[in-house]
Formats: sequence, structure tokens, C-alpha cells
Amino acid sequence: MKEIDVHDANSNAVPYVENEHLPNEKWKGGGAEALLKMEKDASVSVKYHSNFGSHDDLLLLEVDDKLLSEFLNNRITIRGQPNDEAVLCTPSTTYALKFVGTSNSVFLIPAGEHNSLNNDVASNNELAEARSVVSVLKVASGVMELVPIAPKLDKLKFLLKERLYTLEEDDEMDMESDTHNRGLYSFQDLRDLIQASDNELIAGLESLSALEINGFWRILDKSITNDVLTMILRNAIIHEWQISALKEYEVLPMLESDGYPLKIVIHCLNTHGNKSESSENGLLWSLDEKKLCLHFAKQILTSKKMKLENFMTKWKSNLPTEMNTDLTILEGEVLCEKIGMETWIRSFSVSSLPSSPQERFATLFKERPKWEWKDLHPYIRDLKVPGVSSEGLLIKYTRKTQPTEDSEPVFSAR
Amino acid sequence: MQIQVRCNCGEGDCSEWAIIELQGLVESQTSIGDEIRNLEIGRLCHSSCLEGSYTFTVGYHELTGTKMILKKPLLVLQKSKTVVNGGDKRGELQIVGIIRQKILFKTRPKALISRSHVKERKVLNLRSSNAE
Repeated sequence: MKEIDVHDANSNAVPYVENEHLPNEKWKGGGAEALLKMEKDASVSVKYHSNFGSHDDLLLLEVDDKLLSEFLNNRITIRGQPNDEAVLCTPSTTYALKFVGTSNSVFLIPAGEHNSLNNDVASNNELAEARSVVSVLKVASGVMELVPIAPKLDKLKFLLKERLYTLEEDDEMDMESDTHNRGLYSFQDLRDLIQASDNELIAGLESLSALEINGFWRILDKSITNDVLTMILRNAIIHEWQISALKEYEVLPMLESDGYPLKIVIHCLNTHGNKSESSENGLLWSLDEKKLCLHFAKQILTSKKMKLENFMTKWKSNLPTEMNTDLTILEGEVLCEKIGMETWIRSFSVSSLPSSPQERFATLFKERPKWEWKDLHPYIRDLKVPGVSSEGLLIKYTRKTQPTEDSEPVFSAR
Repeated sequence: MQIQVRCNCGEGDCSEWAIIELQGLVESQTSIGDEIRNLEIGRLCHSSCLEGSYTFTVGYHELTGTKMILKKPLLVLQKSKTVVNGGDKRGELQIVGIIRQKILFKTRPKALISRSHVKERKVLNLRSSNAE
């Protein structure tokens, strides 16, 4: 990590300190208290400390009062890999660390009574004199400031996709142990690898529909979710189950007998529906129509583009007839374009795009040089930059043109 | 990799450090050489009439400044390495102090013209710059 690499073995500036041995012993006797509590008309002598030096292992970090208690209660970590810029995380927020230099002389004065004299033999006079000395340990060249930033979650999806969870792997659990855990990440591993606070990391895992299996966070292979949802819909027709009120005690045994682990089935229900409890029938699951429609649309559009009418036919055939297959459900997932008389549809998912605004807009304009607002909006509404509004982002990264006053504005690259 | 930021002092009990800040640089006279530890920089006086007003006499320069409370406190962090389970070194940042107040001398120094004063304190001289 740049800025505060404490892991760099080549850095001589970082002293090696044994655990339990408090590192601040050598700085006793700065006399900060004496300085801050000086009576009117009193004076002190300001000296260089007997350990004065560059002390590169000492940093000043500006912290506002809100964050202070997080620091004092040991809820702060610095996260990043050796090549990342270090970020600082509270349980809920990620901050960049920015060094702000100063050309002033900032004399750093440690706490503690001046101890140049041995208290036993010192006379009262000498003690009084010692108390009127303050010592400068270091001249600080600046301070670190905290700037809230968006968590860097792009890598999370990349890591979890290294090894998607498949049903077959449960049968292969006896593999050699060193290859066994390769490409698998526990929450602790992810904390080490992803620059995000714990809460943001959990939200990131949720948005990827990831699931903890045997201590590792996994994304299910798409075919599993598809099979489970297809099986549920099929069984619903056969057994006349209501999709808005599936009885868990009926659904789970049915799917389990078809070879799907309970945990996986519940996860699919959870990511595509909502749970409620009824006194008569126990736990009920209501599948979310939009989520189901979206799932099957993505499943159909995995590879190449399709003619819109062919897509619509296939999409409807995968879903219960009462479901409303409306293209607005697919905002941010598909793009339609007219080629001659035909309209073609293909997959273009916002979740596959970079999360930094600059890269996001670059990718979008590579895809299409000109965007209408209704098409563009689904691909940028998730962008969040602390302190910058979405209008601000548009002004920064796009050029807006409006051929006539009442025509739709068109956005192109700046 | 994660580095835990640790505070061993417990809430509200961090030892309070202080800052004296002034413009430009303080340099010792060349005759002193590099060994400036324990060397006196100057004498700091709290004004007799105005609470929070200070003068700092460095060599034959006198600076006037005030004590101020920082809008945001500064934490003093120390980088260290601790040994965890058998030899692995793990980085750690320890909070060793907190700074809530500083005495800031933001004006340029005034020269003291008394000759006797110059002799007395000629070990140091202050070169001020226009920075900030």
C-alpha cells in the first residue's frame, strides 16, 4: 500500500516493535500538558527532544469528532494490497487517505512530564525547572486527511467468478486439499483483498447474490439457479401451487428429491422472492414477477443478439402465462436497435460495466456514440460519487445536444 | 491485507500531545552542526493580560501567536509490526496520542533590536519564508 506501507521490509524507517512492548516509551517527557496549561505570564523553554528525529513511523491523521469514537474503540482498519492506494475503513464507510503537506514548521510535542531529572534526588527547584521545559520530538511535514470514497467492489465479482459453485463439486469434496480451496474466498479473505468497509462488502455480496457455502462466499453457476427456478415453475403447474404463495414444506422436499441441496433452493427463493409466515401453512414464498422475468430474459440472451419478436416468444414461453413480460423490466440489461425493418435485442448488463464514472462513460460511448436519455439513464443511475450529483457527472463526462427545442436530448462523449 | 488501527488507551483517555506551528523554518547556526537534540529553540511566554496569546522568542526574533482548538482533532499514529503466530510480521497502526490544540504563530517575526539579547541567544537564528 502506498502512503502507509507498514509491511515493506525494505523500509528502515519502520522500527520493529515487539508486541506488548508499548512503543511510546522513548517519547516520554514532551511536556504537552505543561504547554497547554500554562498560567498567564508563565513561560517555558522550548527544546529539541533528546530523541528528536525524523520519526517517519509517526503519522498525523485528521479525524472529525464523529469518527473519533470508531478509532478509540478499535473499529478502524486500513485495507489494500501492496500495489493499491491504501484506504481506511470504518464498519460502514471507505475513505481515501490524502497527504496534505505544509511549508510551516509543525513542531510535535509529546505528552508526559519532562523526565530529564531523577525525581528522587532532584530538588524542588530542579523539578519546577523540568516542568517548565517542553520538547519537540519531530517536525511534521503535513497531515493525512480522510476523504470518503465509493468502495472498490469491482474486484469482488471477478474473484467470486473464478470458481462458480456447481452441484458436482459437492461430490468432489475429497480432492487434494491444496487445490481444494483455490479460488475460494472466506469473508476474512475478502476483507484482505477488497478495499471496502464490512457493511459495503456485505452489500456487495448481496448485490451479486452470493452465498456462503462451507465458509466460502460463492456465486452459483447460472444453470443451477435456472434449473431450480424452472423446476419450481414446472412443479407449480403440475401441483397447482400458487407462485405468490409457495408453501415451503411442499417446495423444499420436492426439489430435494430432485437432487438440489436445501440451502441452494432457499437461496434461489430468497434472491427471486419474498418470505412470509402464515399460521396455517408455515413459511410461504412469493416469487417476484419482475425478478423471474429478468432471470429468464437473461438466460435466453446469453450469447448473441436476437430478433425482438423471436425473443419475446421464447421469453413468454418460459414464464407462467399470467406474468407480464414488459420490456421496461429489462432496463439496464438489454439494448434494442433497429436494423432496417427489424428490431434486434441483445444483452448489455449494467452489472458488467466498470463502477468508476470515467471508465463507465468510456465503455458506454464505445458501445454507442450517441445515447438518448431513456436508454442512458439505466446505465448510469447507480453511479455514486460522494459530493458530486448525477447532473454533475453528466456535465463532466457527456455533451448534451438537442436538435430542436422539443426533441429528446442526445448525449455524446466529451 | 488489513492493518488494524489500535488504541490501547481506551475511550477519552488518550494522552494529549500538542503542536507549536510557525511559518518558515527554524535553523540552527552552522557552528552547532547536526546534533541539535536537547538544544533550546526558544522561550515561549503566555501573555500576562490576554488569555490564549503567546510570544515565542527564537534567537533575536519574536513571534506573536494564539492558542487555538483544532476544528478536527489530529491522531498521532505509530506504524509498527507485531509478530503473529510464529514469525509472520503483521503491520499495525497504534494510536499514541491525540492533538486537540495548537499554538499558531502565523505572522512573520519581529526583530528584537537589543544587542545584549542577540548575544545571549545567538545559538539559533530563524529564517522565515513567505510560505502560507
